[in-house]
Amino acid sequence: MVSTPAPAPGVAPPGTTDQAAALIEFRQVQKTYSNGFQAVTPFDLSVGAGEIVSLVGPSGCGKTTVIRMAAGLSSVSGGELVRRTDQLAYVFQDPTLLAWRNVRSNVELVAKLKGVDKATRAAAATAAIEMVGLGAFEKSLPRQLSGGMKMRVSLARAITSAPELMMMDEPFAALDEFTRENMQNQLLRLWRANGFGAMFITHSISEAVNLGHRIVVMAARPGRIARIIDSPSPPTKDDAPRDKAALADTAELVSSLLAGDK
Amino acid sequence: MTDLSTHQPTETAPVKAAPPAPSPGPSRLVAARRFVVPPVVAAVLGLAIWQLIIEIFALPVYLLPGPADVWAALTTDAGPILAAAKVTMQEALLGFGLAALSGFAAALVMARWNIAERGLYPYLVLLQTVPIVAIAPLFVVWFGAGITTNALVAAMIAVFPIAANTLQGLKSTDRNLVQLYRMAGAPERVQLFSLRVPAALPQILTGLRIASGASVIGAIVGEFVAGIGGGEGGLGYVITLNATQLRTPELFVAVLMASAVSLILFAIVATIEGQLLKRWHESALPTEE
Repeated sequence: MVSTPAPAPGVAPPGTTDQAAALIEFRQVQKTYSNGFQAVTPFDLSVGAGEIVSLVGPSGCGKTTVIRMAAGLSSVSGGELVRRTDQLAYVFQDPTLLAWRNVRSNVELVAKLKGVDKATRAAAATAAIEMVGLGAFEKSLPRQLSGGMKMRVSLARAITSAPELMMMDEPFAALDEFTRENMQNQLLRLWRANGFGAMFITHSISEAVNLGHRIVVMAARPGRIARIIDSPSPPTKDDAPRDKAALADTAELVSSLLAGDK
Repeated sequence: MTDLSTHQPTETAPVKAAPPAPSPGPSRLVAARRFVVPPVVAAVLGLAIWQLIIEIFALPVYLLPGPADVWAALTTDAGPILAAAKVTMQEALLGFGLAALSGFAAALVMARWNIAERGLYPYLVLLQTVPIVAIAPLFVVWFGAGITTNALVAAMIAVFPIAANTLQGLKSTDRNLVQLYRMAGAPERVQLFSLRVPAALPQILTGLRIASGASVIGAIVGEFVAGIGGGEGGLGYVITLNATQLRTPELFVAVLMASAVSLILFAIVATIEGQLLKRWHESALPTEE
């Protein structure tokens, strides 16, 4: 199934339409493990610059396999995967911090490993730490932070490496409801400031609808795309008010698609 | 949509602030009383029962000396016994250092290259299974009865716990962290020293702790054999000498000294461990009641 880029009335979602601008394109990509297990059947998907695509679906639908292939952590067994950027950041479900390094040192880590010079990465880290509201905790160690704060460190670290494409594998799944909403807002704020494209995996329908310019609904056994929905009221750069009723309808639609998948 | 500028209050408050300051005087005294008084009472009671048994059954000193006999032996022989303890300590430290360096290096190589692990590990296990008492005379033949031989015997039994624990630690790094390093294009060497070694510190230090006791045992075994071969010095030599002459109080003193040497070495490693891990690792965090 190919996404049909129908521009939402009023605001055009950024980068959804132009194939040439796509950061990453899956063309009939599939994944079959050596034991014959078909994790993902052939599918097409593209993510444009500055576009957030959320992937939602039941366990075992191949969501994680899709972004692992996108990040090059997993090989592609068929089809063609075109990635037009090397500026990737991966955000795991766990904060994945170095326990013996403080917040600033953790935030600078990936940029440092990538060889970004000291002044540049320090400036980027300062901005990112400020943006996630951890300015007062630069010297704190991970164990001194709450779960949500650690996740914010993880986000700040991803941003500091100046990614064009963020791969996010259920980053907020382990957090409580309040923290989770807060983190979604943090993420959108970072997105408005940095304009990265993102593939965002989630189990939560409301999270998928709130964050995505497009929502990819996946189905399991075998893993496949059930439908790609353009958000009727996607997040915008100017933080325009969202059409809550339309988003609620979308959530309803996603929910029924997921319920229909047995 | 929620106002972005407001954070949830639960979000901005740290779960745990800076580590609690050292407890003030009174509660430390209470803690000291709780942890010092019971073992001291037990020791006093034990010594009293020990002396009592000797009095009741009229046991000869060569069979079981009383606490008073042991104390007398310790005070009269203090000079030579301390000198022997010093020799043993030197051998143990030397062997321990040698084992730490070679065990750590072997673990690094095995963690870095799988083929090295497959090639070396079986022999490391084999080294552990060789009866040390049987191999020590060979060392005496090669290196003579002396400090070199004893330190080598100590190193030989201390190297396995260090290498095995370090390797285990280096191989159990969080997978996601490893992928983070890989995706950032970090070379294996950087990944090893910036990620795997610090993450393995708790296991490395556990290996060193076990090895500290083992190296003292190794040094003493070496001295037993060297003593037979005519070498002098060290607690192992003192033990063999006094055992053959049935000087049981002196034997007791030597055994106590050997324990003391082990304890000192153990305490050194434990202190280093606490210092290295106290900032971040669960095992070294102050317990909260």
